[in-house]
Amino acid sequence: MDNSWLQKNTFYHSQFSNLEHLVLEKRRKGLSISLCLPTLNEEKTIAKEIIIMKSELMTRFPLLDEIIVVDSGSTDRTLEIAAEYGADVYTASDILPDLKDFKGKGENLWKALYVTRGDIIVYLDADIKNVHHRFVYALVAPLLLYDHIRYSKAFYDRPISVGDQRLRPTGGGRVTELVIRPLFSLFFPELTQIIQPLSGEYAGFRSVFEKIPFPIGYGIETSMILDISAKWGLDAIAQVDLDRRIHRNQSTKALGKMAFVIMQTFLKRLVTRGQITLQDELFNEMIQYSLKDNEYCPEIHQIGGHERPPMIEIPAYRKKFQRS
Amino acid sequence: MDLKPPDLPDIARRIADIREVIIANIVLLGQVPAPTFHESRKAAAFCERLNESQIDECTTDGYNNPIGIIRGSAPSKPPIFLVAHLDTFFDKEIIYNFTVGKTYIEGPGLLDNSVGVGVLASMPQILRFLDLRFESDIVLAGVIQSLGHGNLRGIRHLLKTWVTPIRGAISIEGVELGRLNYFSDGMIRCEIQCSVNPATGFTEKHQPNAILVLNEMINQIMELGVPQRPRSQIIIGKISGGITHGRMAHHASLGMEIHSDAMRVVKSLYQKIKDIVDGFNQEYDVNLKLKIISNLHAARLKFNHPLVKSAVEVMQQLKLKPVSEASESELSILLARGIPSVTLGITHGENKYEENARVKIQPMFKGIAQILGVMAAIDRGVCDG
Repeated sequence: MDNSWLQKNTFYHSQFSNLEHLVLEKRRKGLSISLCLPTLNEEKTIAKEIIIMKSELMTRFPLLDEIIVVDSGSTDRTLEIAAEYGADVYTASDILPDLKDFKGKGENLWKALYVTRGDIIVYLDADIKNVHHRFVYALVAPLLLYDHIRYSKAFYDRPISVGDQRLRPTGGGRVTELVIRPLFSLFFPELTQIIQPLSGEYAGFRSVFEKIPFPIGYGIETSMILDISAKWGLDAIAQVDLDRRIHRNQSTKALGKMAFVIMQTFLKRLVTRGQITLQDELFNEMIQYSLKDNEYCPEIHQIGGHERPPMIEIPAYRKKFQRS
Repeated sequence: MDLKPPDLPDIARRIADIREVIIANIVLLGQVPAPTFHESRKAAAFCERLNESQIDECTTDGYNNPIGIIRGSAPSKPPIFLVAHLDTFFDKEIIYNFTVGKTYIEGPGLLDNSVGVGVLASMPQILRFLDLRFESDIVLAGVIQSLGHGNLRGIRHLLKTWVTPIRGAISIEGVELGRLNYFSDGMIRCEIQCSVNPATGFTEKHQPNAILVLNEMINQIMELGVPQRPRSQIIIGKISGGITHGRMAHHASLGMEIHSDAMRVVKSLYQKIKDIVDGFNQEYDVNLKLKIISNLHAARLKFNHPLVKSAVEVMQQLKLKPVSEASESELSILLARGIPSVTLGITHGENKYEENARVKIQPMFKGIAQILGVMAAIDRGVCDG
């Protein structure tokens, strides 16, 4: 397999630590940059992310033009804290309220396209415990410095936080290795060069994001890679090593649901592109079992696999951003 | 610096406008592990933060203490030192992840001394933001190897090798806002280690128990006459030993500090403890070792020293009530070298030595304003002459 993309389009964050240079490039190109944090009950981590990004990439080096939070309906103090530290705060259901309401990370990211102003949009998960401003500037840098790159994606070591404070040296990435990588290997071997296709940190040009559909849930990372590589070519994608990201450990059941959505998104695209033909419709229920009082009880989760159309097809968006 | 004292309450309010910069420095530096003797990563990060702030000069001394210099307008004036120790009590095994809430920051090592270090690293930007300039150079020293066995080696080395006079110094600690330390006790920090040679077979139960030996040792130390004048104290601070619930302890150790504002009393008490240790070694079948970990000489400014009086005025202007106690820290070394110095705290906090140490954000702005006020006083010449 040709792995030249891996050689050419993989970067390390420290290559981009000259923030002054990045700010100059941004100004020279007349670009604006928005940071979007999708949230659902992230009161423990949201303030730190906003404070560090605001301090480092707005006050010290004016790389970011705005920080917005799009929330799925937190019941904790996420929104109050985010507003306190100066982020523009939105509830997803209040954005484009005439459209049918969905809940999910992808929905938040899609709606962020409508409320952000930037030419470049950085999406960052809001649960990063060891957040550092490199998570933003290193993703933005390839977009500013290389004209052919339209979308950049993070990868990193993935220690997971066990209990309150102890670190396990390795772990994480189970869905990547057990689901996505086998699927990529079977159908799109060139995409296996993307080390962590499911990382929740990425940046891209608005002109790219507005032209692709957004699954409303966990399928968003998979769909972005498949759709952007199909439309603009793999060479338009970069990946950046951000060193280390400490995240929450998730239960196997939660990962199972995530894997279901990802496969749903993946298969849908295979069908659309004519790479496979399904004799029947796929089911839209994820069925897991629990043992209760010595009986196996099914837990059935309806996962519709809804996708938002490319934002550019929404009239209100076209009007706001003067797209013809 | 303008000869007129700054309007500190107004400065405190304005500092709040750049709280994100200050909190970011506290978090980004505080999350770098820095157990004593393993501070190199934090020292590098401290330098990096200073360089990113476009400080006039940033370097490390021969002992790897990172130092930043903000150039003053009068090269002939000696520099003012701001000092904060970089090391924390925690080891590398824990995750140094801080949580920021609406009113607080939480995480291991915050109170001692990540808040102090973060504020120190924020100084270039704070001064720039407030448009404050000083005649003296401002030296920002993040010193290493301060705590426990570190025995203040970082500050000792820094001052030993700093060849030119120092106008005055402020040692910055995370907590408590309102502290005003200007004297330090004479102190010997020592450890008694008790070992019993493990026996074989059934003879073990007839052997002395290292923990009980130390218990008896504590009883005898408590019977020593510790004078109230000069003010003196023996603090038994640390004890460890044994292997499991049902076995005789073969090893145990006891950590203590002897404090007094007269060094001769410290030495005399130490000698008495040494006599007890020697007596035990003779009378019991045990091996007791008394080891000095560190010692400090008593040093002080008088309560009516112009620096102390100025610091009190600054605190009163900010409606802070000064509380003065002896402090055995960087202050001891600064004072011992004849450098007029005080230690100030930045904010209020709790759980100082726990992983969930927590500090309040809002009081920090007064705490920083207070430091600027004392710096301004030193720059006006209260320590000169």
